[in-house]
Amino acid sequence: MRVYQPQEVIVEVGTEQGSVFKNLKRSLPNIPFTFVEDPQSYLSQLQSSEDPLGKGKKRLLLTRHRGEFLKKCPGSDGAVCCNYFVINFASNCPMDCSYCYLQDYLAHNPALKVFSNVEDLLEEAHKLFSRQRRFFFRVGTGEITDSLALDPYIGFSEQIVPFFAEQPNAFLELKTKSDCVENLLHLDPKEKVVVSWSMNPQRVIDQEEHLTASFEERLLAAYRCQQAGYKLGFHFDPIIEYSGWEEDYREMVERIFAVVDYRRIAWVSMGVLRNTPNLKRIMRQRFPSTRLLSGEQVLCPDGKMRYFHPLRVSIYRKMLQWIRSASPTVFVYLCMESREVWEQVFGFSPSCEKELGNRMVSAD
Amino acid sequence: MTDKAILEYGKERGIRNQTLKRWLNLPESDQSALLDLAHGLRIGENHLRDFLDWAEEISLRDGLSLCKIIKGESIEPIWSDPRLGRGDKLRRIKEAMRRQRFPRLMQMEREIQKRIRAMGIGSQIQFSVPSGLEGGTLTVHLSSTSEPDLKKLVGELGELLERSEIKEIFEYLSGRAVK
Repeated sequence: MRVYQPQEVIVEVGTEQGSVFKNLKRSLPNIPFTFVEDPQSYLSQLQSSEDPLGKGKKRLLLTRHRGEFLKKCPGSDGAVCCNYFVINFASNCPMDCSYCYLQDYLAHNPALKVFSNVEDLLEEAHKLFSRQRRFFFRVGTGEITDSLALDPYIGFSEQIVPFFAEQPNAFLELKTKSDCVENLLHLDPKEKVVVSWSMNPQRVIDQEEHLTASFEERLLAAYRCQQAGYKLGFHFDPIIEYSGWEEDYREMVERIFAVVDYRRIAWVSMGVLRNTPNLKRIMRQRFPSTRLLSGEQVLCPDGKMRYFHPLRVSIYRKMLQWIRSASPTVFVYLCMESREVWEQVFGFSPSCEKELGNRMVSAD
Repeated sequence: MTDKAILEYGKERGIRNQTLKRWLNLPESDQSALLDLAHGLRIGENHLRDFLDWAEEISLRDGLSLCKIIKGESIEPIWSDPRLGRGDKLRRIKEAMRRQRFPRLMQMEREIQKRIRAMGIGSQIQFSVPSGLEGGTLTVHLSSTSEPDLKKLVGELGELLERSEIKEIFEYLSGRAVK
């Protein structure tokens, strides 16, 4: 994997005392650090540039987060949801996948940011978990960033993993397209942390998942994490349909299950390519030669475009068949899909998000 | 010259700058082809954007220029048919382009409609499928004026469900007939 390095680190004055700043200074000795009283001037300058999101990825802003860190995953209207929570320790991502929804979601907030006040994050999580001991929380950190791509510089995993290891009623999922797992290998997750990878065949990675780790790099990182005591997750999302996709995806599934121990896989999810009409417009501008926009996608009731219903049910059935051939028992679920698709793929649909969330906790 | 004509057309029809920018970024021959179409059909922002989107996406998938798509064999006969008014031409050209853009979806929709027609259902029982086949559902609409009439219709429906066409329709809707 081509290791990401910011061209500059912009530091909001007042954040220098925390562990994130110290880790950044230690791990980026040759990168210029610029101190600003108020990051707003950098943000305004960024917003008015051409391709703010792309430009925003070149610099790292260390700033204090002033809102809530922990919230419910927004999911999608009318889709079967899994009762997931998200913690945002950073915003934006150093990678640049052509289909990434952050291109739309963060269009007005494009800076690559890391939040300095980790202790506030942990305090907020601790309060919520201890107030609701009868509820089991599944929490992920990869909603608006990659969970591990910046970890070599910020070392966030070295705080969040030990924290979750001690929680009686919470799991942590670290979702990534990187192979940046070094910091994890000496930590003890105590069965409370799942490290998961979004996976696609190498052909798709080459064409659409820019600046990410290769398929084999991700798989090796997964293997190493499994050896170090972590449970794993795999997200076949987005599944892209193209001429030859079946062979590529089948081989990918077979390769994954040949390398990792399926009994230590917490969950596998599937989801086809999704984009809003606005995201489509942005993809067209930023990645004009991407072929992703030429699939037979239609607008669904939740406002997202997906391959038309019978096509994606057919895709999911084939993927499920290959997964089941390799592992009859691994827990598989669909991400952001309707009840009708669930029923046609699995023969049933969870009655509510709590049911699916509970099934996942039991599976883990 | 084409640039100027495009800008004039854009001003006249209230086309948004973003759409005009996309149009002007096309190669000259594609710009002209689209301009001919736009002038002939007198299309505004929404139709123009649909044409641009679909033509670009077909072009990316099939390696054809926009000009070849617009002046291709599926559209040219409609365009040059003197019997058709502007409204009919627009509707049919859009339909033809949609068929090119979504070949499997439209083929599936046609096959389902063929099977519905083959069942020879009267007007009191109607079968319909959603646009884009989203939801994978077949909806049955019964219209009756009395309880005996409704019972008769339910009986007829029961017989229809024995037909092979119903099974085939659900094969399509459930993705089992996808190639």
